[in-house]
Amino acid sequence: MALIDLIVEKIVKTPLESKDKPDVLRELVRILKDAEEIDDFDSALKAVQNREDKQSTGLEKSIAVPHAKTDAVSSLKLAIGIAPQGIDFDSIDGEPSKLFFLLLAPPNQPGTHVEALAEIAKLARSKAFCKALVSADNAKEVVELMEGG
Amino acid sequence: MGKPIKKILVYIDGTEQSVNAAQYAICLASFSGAELIAHYVINTRAVEDLLRARIFLKDEQVEYEHDMEADAERYLNYVNELAVKKGVPIIKKCSKGTVHKEIVNTVNEDEIDLLVIGELSRIRSRRDEFYDENERAMRAVHCSVLIVKDEDRVWEMYESLA
Repeated sequence: MALIDLIVEKIVKTPLESKDKPDVLRELVRILKDAEEIDDFDSALKAVQNREDKQSTGLEKSIAVPHAKTDAVSSLKLAIGIAPQGIDFDSIDGEPSKLFFLLLAPPNQPGTHVEALAEIAKLARSKAFCKALVSADNAKEVVELMEGG
Repeated sequence: MGKPIKKILVYIDGTEQSVNAAQYAICLASFSGAELIAHYVINTRAVEDLLRARIFLKDEQVEYEHDMEADAERYLNYVNELAVKKGVPIIKKCSKGTVHKEIVNTVNEDEIDLLVIGELSRIRSRRDEFYDENERAMRAVHCSVLIVKDEDRVWEMYESLA
C-alpha cells in the first residue's frame, strides 16, 4: 500500500495542542483513536513510548517519525501532526520538532512498514515541502499538499 | 519457431496484487509450458536508508531484516503451494537489495522472456511515480512485461486450471 493511500483529513491534525513530548505522543495516538483506526489506545501508545525510550525519533529539519510494531493494529496506520510553534522532542539536532509522522504497523507486515517509513524519509529530504506542510492552515491543505507533491 | 515464452518471472512482494499475479503466471506457465520463477526481493536498501536517516536503530535494522526474510519465505512458500496444487513446477528465488535493480538483474541473469507483476498502485502524486518499485522495474527491464488486473477473473481462471 502506498503511503498516500493512508492520508485522509481525519488522520491529520494541525495545529497540535501538546507542549511536550509525552503529550504529543498521546495526542498523535489519539488522532488514530478518534479516527477509529485503532481500538486499543493504551497498547498502541505503550508501543510508541517503548520505541522512543530507546532513542528519540526526532530527526533533523524539525521532523519526527515516531513508529512502532504493535498488535493494536491489523494494518498500517499513519497519523500526521503539525506543531508550527515546535515541540521539544529530544531531536538529534536539538531543534524543536514541528512535523510529526506517527506510523503503527502490525508485526506481520515488516515490508510495508519499512517501505512507508522509507517514503516518509524521502519526503523529509525536501526542506521546501516540509516547510509548506508546516505552514498549512488545515488538514485539507495538508492532504492536498501530499497528493500534489 | 520455438516457444515465444520460455521463462516467466513473477515478482512477489506480499501484496494481494502480487499473489494474484502469481496465480496468473501459474496459469500462463501451465498453458505455455514455460519455466516459472517466483522472485521476492527483501528491500534492504530501504532499511539501510532508514538507518542512515536515523529513523531506525541498528537493532531495529537487524530485527526488521530478519522479519522481512521470514515474510519472504512465507510468501514464496505460499506461491509454491499454489503452483504445486496445479501441477506447475516453480523455482523460488529470494534476493536482497534495491527492488527494481534486483528484478532487472534476475531478468538478465536468468534470461527471462516475460515479467509478470501485480496491478500497479493508484498514482495520486508525482512522488508515487518516482518511488513505486514495480513501476521502476517495469520501465527498466528489457523483456516484455505483463501487468495482471481483474482479481476475480484471474481467481476463476486459476481455480478452473486442472
